[in-house]
Amino acid sequence: MTASGTTFGSVRRSALREFGSAVWTIMVKELRARMRGRRAFIVLTLYLAVLALITYGVYVVVGPAARAAADQQGGFGLAQANASRLVGQYIFTVLSIFQMIMVAMIAPAFTAGQISLEREKQTLDLLISTPMRPGAIVIGKLLTALAFVILMIVAAIPITAIVLMYGGASVDDIIRQQVLLLAVAVGVGAIGLFSSALMRRTQAATVLTYCIVLALTLGTAMVFAFWTEVAQQNQAGFVQEPEQAPEQLRYLNPMVGMLDIVSRVEVDGPTRFTSSLYELFGRDLASTPVSFACDGIGCEGFGGFDQPMPVPVDAFGQAGRTDYWWPRVAISFLIVAAVLTLASMRLVVPAGMRWALRRGGARRMAAASLGAPMIEELPETER
Amino acid sequence: MMSVPVVETRGLIKRYGDQLAVAGVDLLVGPGEIFGLVGPNGAGKTTTMKILATLLAPTSGEAYVTGIPVDADPIEVRRRIGYMPDFYGVYDDLRVWEYLDFFGRCYGVPSNRRAPMIGELLEIVGLGDRRDAYVESLSRGMRQRLCLAHTLVHDPALLILDEPASGLDPRARVEMREILRELRSMGKTILVSSHILPELAELCTGVAIIDHGRVLRSGSITDIERSLRANALLRIELIANEAAIAAASDWLATDPRVGDVLRHDGGSGDTARLEVPFDGSADAQAELLRSMIDAGHRVVGFSQATSDLEEIFLRVTGQSDEENAA
Repeated sequence: MTASGTTFGSVRRSALREFGSAVWTIMVKELRARMRGRRAFIVLTLYLAVLALITYGVYVVVGPAARAAADQQGGFGLAQANASRLVGQYIFTVLSIFQMIMVAMIAPAFTAGQISLEREKQTLDLLISTPMRPGAIVIGKLLTALAFVILMIVAAIPITAIVLMYGGASVDDIIRQQVLLLAVAVGVGAIGLFSSALMRRTQAATVLTYCIVLALTLGTAMVFAFWTEVAQQNQAGFVQEPEQAPEQLRYLNPMVGMLDIVSRVEVDGPTRFTSSLYELFGRDLASTPVSFACDGIGCEGFGGFDQPMPVPVDAFGQAGRTDYWWPRVAISFLIVAAVLTLASMRLVVPAGMRWALRRGGARRMAAASLGAPMIEELPETER
Repeated sequence: MMSVPVVETRGLIKRYGDQLAVAGVDLLVGPGEIFGLVGPNGAGKTTTMKILATLLAPTSGEAYVTGIPVDADPIEVRRRIGYMPDFYGVYDDLRVWEYLDFFGRCYGVPSNRRAPMIGELLEIVGLGDRRDAYVESLSRGMRQRLCLAHTLVHDPALLILDEPASGLDPRARVEMREILRELRSMGKTILVSSHILPELAELCTGVAIIDHGRVLRSGSITDIERSLRANALLRIELIANEAAIAAASDWLATDPRVGDVLRHDGGSGDTARLEVPFDGSADAQAELLRSMIDAGHRVVGFSQATSDLEEIFLRVTGQSDEENAA
């Protein structure tokens, strides 16, 4: 026990340390149970194997076509580079979207049972009757559940980094992708944790979590599309900018964020793979390829020597607004995570004790700042 | 410092909707005491204990653990108590030592103290050879003892044990009792509940008999037993006649062994009943009846009623016979 807590600052520090060690306590316990044996190892290996397989599959499908196009254009220099770039783009696109789907599906599965399982197994009372702050319990649970998801995301970096060999996507793009994936993992994980604290039963919590995730991805996309459609019909006949649904609808759509990142890479416009996704989540997310002059050698296929660098085009058709959606999505998910974590803390504390927990803390701090001995400083009972 | 009671409640009330789970419980437990809460299921024992363990907020009334109010500073109270609920689960997927290590961390026991502490506790509860076993593999009695060990990791001033022997077979029950005895010899203050009295009788320095959220009697078990034997509640039925009843009441009140006479109308209109606390043996009761009739009172019935307290006392003691036989 920290004894020298006579100034406000050091009390604060020791409280922080206490909080941190409580979070760590929960994490150690959860990780011991979770990471024991081969299960976690096998799951991670399988996941990476699937990613590698997908990468290889994309290469097999796209590679020959790209090479053929390059040969058509002379087979040297820029043409070859373009073909290579295309393979890189495809790999990056497919990996990014696949990982986003996996994160949105896996993160809730890890968190949706965290608190309701403790209730079901009647271990929550034992945990709550310890002096650990409920906040530390909740955050420890969230971090542990996310630890594995984060491991999955980060462990996939080397596979994603293959695209750096081909070109088409840069280190910046990979960083964007990672930041968004992590933010969504934290946000979706917090949604699972919150329903776990809200619902008595794990099953109900799991169902609720997936309903929310579905609503955020497909739900908001459909509402957005419908709203935009209606707004544009109302506008018919007027010479005005086409109206859109409020863009905030999209802030919690992980796919919008990922398509935004992907569209930066797809400089030639939507590909076979992504075009249907743009149809679903918003055509405006796709970059429009800048038309270029055909010089007779052939401008079909995958672009020629003299293709100018296309300018990324943002949601409203204005050029130059890059990095518009994904940072908003990432920040929104982080805010959601913070709010829901706070809400979960309150749900974990027994009703009627919520006030007391804060008052007690405040009083101890006040006592300490006045230089009065803290209660912790009283002699411990003898062993 | 010794003068501060480890547990003190004053007028503790807990209300669920319009149901009173705890209806004004006053408890006082001094350091080193083993105090039993005895009463039938649903008497309010668990609720009282949960309030003391800071898991429930009282509707009104005060509760202190080592002088700290439970509703104002629950975190401090939690550092001073070890709580074992009546129903609880364990983390199956941990090893026994990991389980205790986890709770040691929860209570902020420094790492250099945890390892020796785990060894000591496992010895106390007789799980020394199970250190590396998974909690999953433990029998019910062993889990109960492990849970008891977890309440001790931070060397608390008070142990709150809610039905620590429930659901155990007779042998495991004896083991549990041995452990409690050992803890008593270590000078622990323990608040323990049971719906079976003999289980606690030899162990407790004091008990409170609780029913319907009220403490009916508290003190040492021998005191309670003596007072029960001495105090009989007589039920005297008389012909229903206002003057006669009043006369009988007055006549009874002159006897020094008689307490406050209560009139009980009810049943058929022909008779009325008086409830008479009487401090005397069976002989004295017979004497009272004869002199009452001699005095001209028209007694229809004369019997010894069982008081609430006694009824419960019989129930909690009777149940144990059934369970021991089973």
